[in-house]
Order: sequence, then structure tokens, then C-alpha cells
Amino acid sequence: MTTIIANNKVSEFVSSIANENLPCWEKFSESRKKAKEILTQLDFPTTRNEYWKYSRVTKIARETYHFKNLSEEKIDLDEVRIPDLETYEIVFINGFISLVNSNLPSSDELEIVAFSDSKSHDYDSCFSKNLDSITNIFSALNTAYFTDGVLIKAKGEFAKPIHIIHYSTGENIISQPRNMFVSTTNSSLTILKSSINNNTNKFFQNSVNEFFLEKNSKLNFYVIQDYKKGMNVMTTNVVNQERDSVFSAYNYTIKGDWIRNNTNVFVNGKNCETNLFGAYQPTGSEHIDNHTIVDHLAAHCESNEHYKGTIADKATGVFNGKVFVRKDSQKINAFQSNNNVLLSDEATMNSKPELEIYADDVKCSHGSTSGQLDDEAVFYLQSRGLSKKSATALLIGAFLGEVVEKIEIPELKEKVLELYGME
Amino acid sequence: MISIKNLHASIGEKEILRGINLEVKAGEVHAIMGPNGSGKSTLSAVLAGNENYEITEGSVDYIGEDLLELSTEERARKGIFLAFQYPIEIPGVSNMNFLRTAINETREAKGEEPMAAKEFLARVKEKSALVELDASLLKRYVNEGFSGGEKKRNEIFQMAMLDPKLAILDETDSGLDIDALKIVSHGVNKLKSKDNATIVITHYQRLLDHIVPDFVHVLYKGRIVKSGGKELALELEEKGYDWIKEEVNA
Repeated sequence: MTTIIANNKVSEFVSSIANENLPCWEKFSESRKKAKEILTQLDFPTTRNEYWKYSRVTKIARETYHFKNLSEEKIDLDEVRIPDLETYEIVFINGFISLVNSNLPSSDELEIVAFSDSKSHDYDSCFSKNLDSITNIFSALNTAYFTDGVLIKAKGEFAKPIHIIHYSTGENIISQPRNMFVSTTNSSLTILKSSINNNTNKFFQNSVNEFFLEKNSKLNFYVIQDYKKGMNVMTTNVVNQERDSVFSAYNYTIKGDWIRNNTNVFVNGKNCETNLFGAYQPTGSEHIDNHTIVDHLAAHCESNEHYKGTIADKATGVFNGKVFVRKDSQKINAFQSNNNVLLSDEATMNSKPELEIYADDVKCSHGSTSGQLDDEAVFYLQSRGLSKKSATALLIGAFLGEVVEKIEIPELKEKVLELYGME
Repeated sequence: MISIKNLHASIGEKEILRGINLEVKAGEVHAIMGPNGSGKSTLSAVLAGNENYEITEGSVDYIGEDLLELSTEERARKGIFLAFQYPIEIPGVSNMNFLRTAINETREAKGEEPMAAKEFLARVKEKSALVELDASLLKRYVNEGFSGGEKKRNEIFQMAMLDPKLAILDETDSGLDIDALKIVSHGVNKLKSKDNATIVITHYQRLLDHIVPDFVHVLYKGRIVKSGGKELALELEEKGYDWIKEEVNA
């Protein structure tokens, strides 16, 4: 069944937040103005739209929302801290930066500029570059009404991870954080993103992250999505890679009622590497959707993508991975794979790997599997004394573990394994 | 230890076991031989609790309990061990992690504390030496990429670690060269005691040169059609199974 949403839904949706007090963000006023115009022309997508075929946004679109700035409140971050791992922390509460809870570095190697800072910056002009705000209403919505954000720019080998923590609380609240991450030439940067939510109901988080990798730089982006009830989460990541750069994204979804992640990578320079890894394990009636695009616009690059998931109960998983290899992008190695295990008869997985190749000297592969746990393996483990439950858990752990093993930080790997219940 | 009476089992519509009677006492080694398709592997799977088979008639008493009422893991925890003819490869699960979980869940079911790491490692060292299993294989994923011989040795290693009361070896000799056969048999013999029992399922007599049975049974068309001492195995080796088939069919 598809639902048609009348055009005035968007204006209604926007009107509830348009009058609220957001800082004016002088340097981005042009972008905001443009996005607001786009919003008047865009509609909420229906499932007839291929990009949204398996993820209904009706329940998000039909609510009205408000901003709620609680950035002065002191909050407890322990649940998302990584034992034995030192990080800097930037905390957002309901999409607003909370300095009282943050722990920012003071280093020549790293520049952190809040968007509220009126001082102009060399990356201001890159704001919204390659963001799909022309076609994606949620990207346009963030650009038009983002709540707060920072630009983080690494200038050297910055080893200590920057931990971005999003704290959400409240009913019918919209949170629209927006960040830019830059790794300058020869630098490296590691970003870790976690979330905490308490007492949320009909909370909508719509975040946008933009990444700019200059020549020969390296950027790792780790995301842990572990939400309690009451959150609908939309994230959009746009990555721009210059030559000789390495971008790696690791997306681990533990829990969440409704999550849609869009990650779009534009590989603009030669000799780049792009790695996209993800794991998800929806249960109950959860809905977890990962959409990725890797656009090879230059030659001699490599991309590796591997997403794995287990889907239980009446839950739904969605994977759509698109790889473009443009006409003159020769000598590309692009690998993409999505593997799923369905743990119940009522679980659903929609998997669609796509390749569009316009060059003739490339090595690309893609594949998708959806199956069940191996009964014989369960029996084998049971015949050694393991309960059916722990045999199943061990096999699931082994299955998802493959993409958790990709994590380069041992302490973080431990934490993610623990969150998935596979120590 | 185990008393099987008139056991019938089917898979789908097909009846494979058609009235098995077998009594095994502590300290005994029983060999079950028979031509292909006679139901040997079905018997071992049924005793281990494989749910693909439906028990249609009969009873199995195991140390005073109704075995057929127990789940696979309960049987294992009460001391039944099946060495698989085709051990399963489980990528992503390390041998050590798997064994530690198996041992500790068994102990937990008995109300015992988990085995201390030091004790576990000492036991691993001792038992792996018994079947000459290379330490590097222990750290690898369960059976993944193991040779046929390594898989069988891993089965006997697991058996040694779990110390069962009743071990059922399903065609443990298949796919083994003579050296591996000796190592595996040596392991099994070392584990034998007056308190445990072994059922050796095999097509060929050669394994029985190394693991000497007290009784030999011939399974044919889902029934035990002949029983005897170890000399029966030699007779089968010499004359094949045809004379048995003729006797039964006559």
C-alpha cells in the first residue's frame, strides 16, 4: 500500500518549526534560503519512489515537532564511553551543542569551529557540496533548519578519537545536528558517533554530516546506533574524497525503532580507498535501512563494502548499495556484499546491490545473500551441551562478527562486541 | 547404561529404524556394522537427539531416564557424545570459545561453577596431546579448513574434553589414513574406563583392529539381525554382507 501525502503536508510540517528561534548562522544564510525554497517544491516521498520504496516516512511526516534547547543541562555520558579509550567529547543535546558536557581538545593539530562563530572559514563555501538536498527532502530540511553544528578540521596525525555524542530527550522534538569534518593534506582523523536517548517519544533526529578528505589523508568514521524506544532516526553522510585519501565508515546498529542511514561517497581523486562496513540486528518490529552510494569519478581507486545483518521477529532490514564507475574511471576495484540471516518466518529483508559501470577496464563484484541459520551447525553445537539459545547466539555472533572485526581500535571493538552480546 | 527397546524412527514418510533392540553396559564397547543404508547413522543421530527424525515407536532408557524426552543439549550434558561422521564447519566460532562455552554450560546445568581458565587451558593441553592435535588448530574456527583427519581428531579431542559416559562414534574411520586411524583409536582407547561405554559405528572391520569391541552387531534394514563377539567382525570382513542379507531375506 502506498500513501499519497498532500503537498501542503510539507508546509504544515515546516511551519511548526519555522517560527522557532534558531540562530541566524549568517555565513550559511544563502544555503538556508535556497533549501527553504526547495522545501516549497518537494513532497514527502512515498514508497512509489524507488529510493524510499521500503521505508515509509508517513509516521514521521504526520507529526508536528518543536526544537527544545537543553544544552545547559548536565548529563551522564558513562553509558556510551569506551572503557580504556581516551577520547575528546563533543556533546549535542537535542541537536544543540552542549559545552558544559563537552571536553574539547586544545591542539594546533586540530581546529574546531562552531557554526555559530561568525568568523568566516575556508570551508564555508563547501557547505552542502554534493548534498542531495535538491532531491532529498530530509537533507533540505536539515540545511534549512539545522539546529547547531561544528566544523572539525585535522591538520596532522590526530590519533585520539573525537567522540560526538547525541543526547535526545522529549516528545515531538526534532533534532537537526549538522557537522563538517575535514582531514587536510597528509592528516588523519577518527570520529566516533554515539547516541543516548531518555524519555523520548515521537522524537525525530535528522542529522547531516559532511566529510572532506584532502590529498593523502585518512578519515575513520565509527557510528554506534543503540537507541531506546521513541526515536525515528534519519542520518545523511556525504563524503568527498581527493586523491590518495582513505575513507572508512563503520556503522553498527544495535537497536532502534526506525532508522534510515544514507551514506554517499564521491571519490573525486585517483588512488583512493573507500571502505563501508555495517552490521544490524533488528528485532521486534524495528526497521533498519542502510542506503549507500559510492561514486567513482576518478581512476585507480578501490572500494570495499560489506554489510551484514540478522533480522528477527517481525523486524525489517533494508540494504541498498549503489556503485557508479564513471566513463573515464579505469582500473577501479569495487567490491560490494550484503549478507543477511532471517531468524523468523515473519522477518523481512529487502536487499538491492546495484552496479553501474561506464568504464571498460574495471574489476567489480557485488552480491547479496539472505538465508537462515544453519540447522546442522545448531545441532552440532547443541550436541556438545550448548543450549539452543546460546548455539544460536554463538552463530549470530560469528556471522556479524566478521564486520565488527574490521574495527581498528581494540577498545572500541570490545565495546561493540559487547553491545552485540558476543564477547 | 543404555537400553534401547523396539526403536522405530522415520524421516518424512520413510521408516529407517524398524525395531532396534540394544543393551549397552558400563565398561563395554559395542560395534555396530552393516551395509550402506542400513540405518547406522540414523541410529546415532536419533540417540543424539536430531529433530529431523521422528520416533514412531519404542523406548530408550539411559541411566534410568527416558532419553527420548531429553533435548539434544540435555543428553550431551548428561554424558552422551556423538562423534560426527561429517563434523560441521563453523566459520567465526573459535574452537576454544566453543569448547569453553560447552563445558561451562554443562557445569552450570549441574549447578557447578565455571571451569577456571587455568584448569581449562591445562586440560586443553593434555587432551589435545592425546590426539596429537596441533595447538594452532585450537585457535582456528571450528573445523573450518581442517583436513578430514584433523576434523576427526578434533571430534575425539572434544570427546576427551567433555568426558562423556556414552560415546557414539559414527564412522570415525571414514576418510582417515592408517596413521590418523591409529592416533584416533589410541585416543578413544585411552578414554575408555569401567564407568563409560562406547558404541562404534563402522562399515569396515579395520577400525576394530584398533578399538577392540566386546560385542558386534549387524544392522540391516533398520534392525539388528545378528550379534556376536569380535570374531563376527572378522567374518564380515572376509565374507562381506551378502550372506547376512541372504539369511535375513530367506
